[in-house]
Amino acid sequence: MTFLVPALLLALPLAALPVVIHLIHLYRRRQVKWAAMMFLRMAQRMNKGLSRLRQILILAFRVLAVAAILFVITRPMAGGLLGLTGGVPDTVIVLLDRSASMEQQNLATGTSKRAAGIAKLSQALRDTVGTRSKLVLIENAHLQPQLLEKPESLVDLPLTGPTDTTADIPALLQGALDYITTNQTGRTDVWVLSDLRQSDWDAASGRWQALRGAFTSLKGLRFHLLTYAQPVSQNLAVSVERTVRRETAGKAELLLDLRITRDAATATPTELPLRFVINDVSTTMKVEMKDSQLVLQGHAIPIDKTTKRGSGRVELPADASPSDNVFHFVFDEPAVLRSVILTDDETEAGPLQAALEAAADPTRKYAATVLPVSRAAEIAWDDTALIVWHAALPKADDLITQQLTNHLNSGRSILFLPTETPNNETFGGLHWGAWSGDSKPASVEWWRNDTGLLANTRSGTSLPVGELEVTRRCEILGEGTPLARLAENKPLLMRADIPGDGNAWFLGTLPGSGSSSLARDGVVMFAMLHRALNEGASTLGKAQQREAAATESLNEWKRVGETMLSSEQSLRAGVLTKDDKLIALNRLLREDRPETLGKTALAELFAGLDHHIIEDQVENETSLASEIWRTFLFLMALALLGEALLCMPPKREVRPSAV
Amino acid sequence: MATADRSFLDPAVLSRLMALPLNARQAMLGNVSGHHRSPVRGSSLEFAQYRKYVPGDDTRRLDWRTWGRSDRFYIKEFEADTNLRLCLLIDTSGSMNFGPAGATRFDYARKLAGTLAYIAAQQGDAVGLHSLAEKPVEIPAKRGASHLGLVLDQMAAIQPVGDTTLLTALHDAAEKIRQRALVVIFSDLFVPPAELKSAIQHLRFRKHDVTVFHLLDQKELDFDFDRPARFIDMEGGEAVLADPSLIARNYREAVKQYMTEIDDLIRTTAIDYHRVKLHEKYDDVLVKFLLARIQKKGGR
Repeated sequence: MTFLVPALLLALPLAALPVVIHLIHLYRRRQVKWAAMMFLRMAQRMNKGLSRLRQILILAFRVLAVAAILFVITRPMAGGLLGLTGGVPDTVIVLLDRSASMEQQNLATGTSKRAAGIAKLSQALRDTVGTRSKLVLIENAHLQPQLLEKPESLVDLPLTGPTDTTADIPALLQGALDYITTNQTGRTDVWVLSDLRQSDWDAASGRWQALRGAFTSLKGLRFHLLTYAQPVSQNLAVSVERTVRRETAGKAELLLDLRITRDAATATPTELPLRFVINDVSTTMKVEMKDSQLVLQGHAIPIDKTTKRGSGRVELPADASPSDNVFHFVFDEPAVLRSVILTDDETEAGPLQAALEAAADPTRKYAATVLPVSRAAEIAWDDTALIVWHAALPKADDLITQQLTNHLNSGRSILFLPTETPNNETFGGLHWGAWSGDSKPASVEWWRNDTGLLANTRSGTSLPVGELEVTRRCEILGEGTPLARLAENKPLLMRADIPGDGNAWFLGTLPGSGSSSLARDGVVMFAMLHRALNEGASTLGKAQQREAAATESLNEWKRVGETMLSSEQSLRAGVLTKDDKLIALNRLLREDRPETLGKTALAELFAGLDHHIIEDQVENETSLASEIWRTFLFLMALALLGEALLCMPPKREVRPSAV
Repeated sequence: MATADRSFLDPAVLSRLMALPLNARQAMLGNVSGHHRSPVRGSSLEFAQYRKYVPGDDTRRLDWRTWGRSDRFYIKEFEADTNLRLCLLIDTSGSMNFGPAGATRFDYARKLAGTLAYIAAQQGDAVGLHSLAEKPVEIPAKRGASHLGLVLDQMAAIQPVGDTTLLTALHDAAEKIRQRALVVIFSDLFVPPAELKSAIQHLRFRKHDVTVFHLLDQKELDFDFDRPARFIDMEGGEAVLADPSLIARNYREAVKQYMTEIDDLIRTTAIDYHRVKLHEKYDDVLVKFLLARIQKKGGR
């Protein structure tokens, strides 16, 4: 609680006035000379406890009433929802989730969760903290602490604007932790503004435990979790999974793989108008949605034959969550899905090349080149989506290491395979250990089937990873994300934790028959290689589909249609262009998942930390902090009423004379 | 010696009351002949009893007529009439000052005691005075007008002050008044009834005819105040802050309990008890007191 006129708090000792007046009256009372003191003393003895309690209560009520009046004139500020108590902290850190899901709106006012939360938080901080605390903003897109001059800036800053990114709340908290420990912020209030999407909070992550441990050791730290977890009713979301331009004898058309999902308890058939805008030409068609999901495979939209490249979007009718109603796409002559297999072992190269050249998508062209290790410098870095590196890991200061890093930074992929004599070099935090083998082939006991190279197919069918036989395994050492393990938790496939858009995997065996059944069975290897290839090909070609995220390399690109700050344009869905290249930016599809964290789960994440949760709604217009003088006025009235009741003389009894 | 102010004696009241004798409720042991019954047999005109003759009896007291009828010797005995010792015990503690100036409890007691002393002296009885206070005044009971003057002067001179020593004074009086006497106590009796009972019993044990004039003000019984006040003890000066609205009920309860105990004391000690409220006319109180004693004497 803070006060708009804090100077008047100096008058608070006046609350003791009733006590002083009481004491003065005590010594100024009428004096009566009395003889029958023995009766008086007996009566007082009989009445002592109750009388004293009554007198203390009367005094307490009077003090309370005066104190309440004093508080009223100091104009106290606090929140009905909030409970902002404990004075002004040295630092206030605002952790802002401005992911796409935070754009869910109140349809009546058009205010999003993000905007409502920021407005309320800004007002509350202005009223309660003002400029007395250091104010720091960390938002999910850049994860960089930003010092703010005043709370009102929260509303105006581009850094608090809408994005189509996804949020990583543990990373946000880590950012706050780093800031606190680096700057020794003293008493700190950390405000987390989020819609509690499970995909953003990643409650199962091991990072939470480490964060809790680190925060617990800090003194004077309080968390205020301002949450907007209310679900969207009847929300529809659209996404385009594939865009291909096809040209036949007399015409050209664009083939789109569309997916429309809806969050609804009932699956009532609904007719939906679906609007396509391609190179500023729009067409509308109606589709009937019978279930919670509608998939349109290869939906053809005729285009002009001369239109070889371009951009477009699919739009759904407006609803409470506008960020998932539009999906942008670009198209061009598809790039060749080029891969390079760097190996000196022709036996291993054969199956790899065969798999990578086989067309998973008949509309695309595939090319796989086998290069001996000595000719690594000949790799066409610009055109290659995937490099299968079956060679010794390069030294950290080698040129090739820098080239590989650049390759990854540009969003491409590398699959590392172990050589017969692994060296001790490390790449992306991982390195090879010793080979081991057994006469009895080992099988994969666990693999990650929700995401990654071994994820289930689009139809939900799992890959036959369990049927693989591994006779020789090279140990993978270091810190990474395991995607498949053999018995005794020995990793078979690991993803290196490297920054940037690219991916690097370490496979702890070889596809040849001497090491595993990958080549013999084929399916797993084919899926794995093509997924790695597709991952790397997302930045290949002149038309690319990307997910909105903070990427400095897009700062120089020009946005098609609307204009915005260059630093922000990689964060918003839309189409960017530079030279003859096109990029369609869209939200991460995991932002469409409506599941949110429950209050209990949230409390568990902050267990042991001083925190309180404020569950707000977009429709709720109550401010977080407001003047609460009415409460004190009410308190004063109650105190005066209590005092009056206690002071009321007892009912006069009709009594016979004592004698 | 200059005569003290005897304004507490009202001639009109005295002349009205002179017609009423002051009688003892029991036999008195006086040293001169008087109007009061004596425990020893004497030569008054009032027949007492017959008793068998025993050798050594005065043969002049033989009733010859009875001998003539019954052929047996009987002695005829008559009541002996003696005088009365009236011992006035006046409480002179500070609480006796209660009441408006000129009409305090002590003034009231003085009027009662003075009038009684006068009546007793007029009928030839001895009058003594004991003040029950820190500085006691003790005037043994004697007859005579000059002694009455001494008693009345002393009565006029006494000023009630200080803490009560009623209980000690009663025990002292019981010890010091050697012969049977009519002991009249004038007090507010603001002492624990149980302890008072013991002092009264002491007096009764010494075969005194004990009369108590319990002097109370109606205010003390009702405690009818409307505002909180500082009550100052008239005996000790100690102050008590009290809110009548809070404690009046308990006060009255305490008074009631006290009165019950006093009633019990009267029953068990058989004293002549008169509860007097200060607004009552003192001559009416005395008339009632004297008349009651006449009836008692007639009934013996």
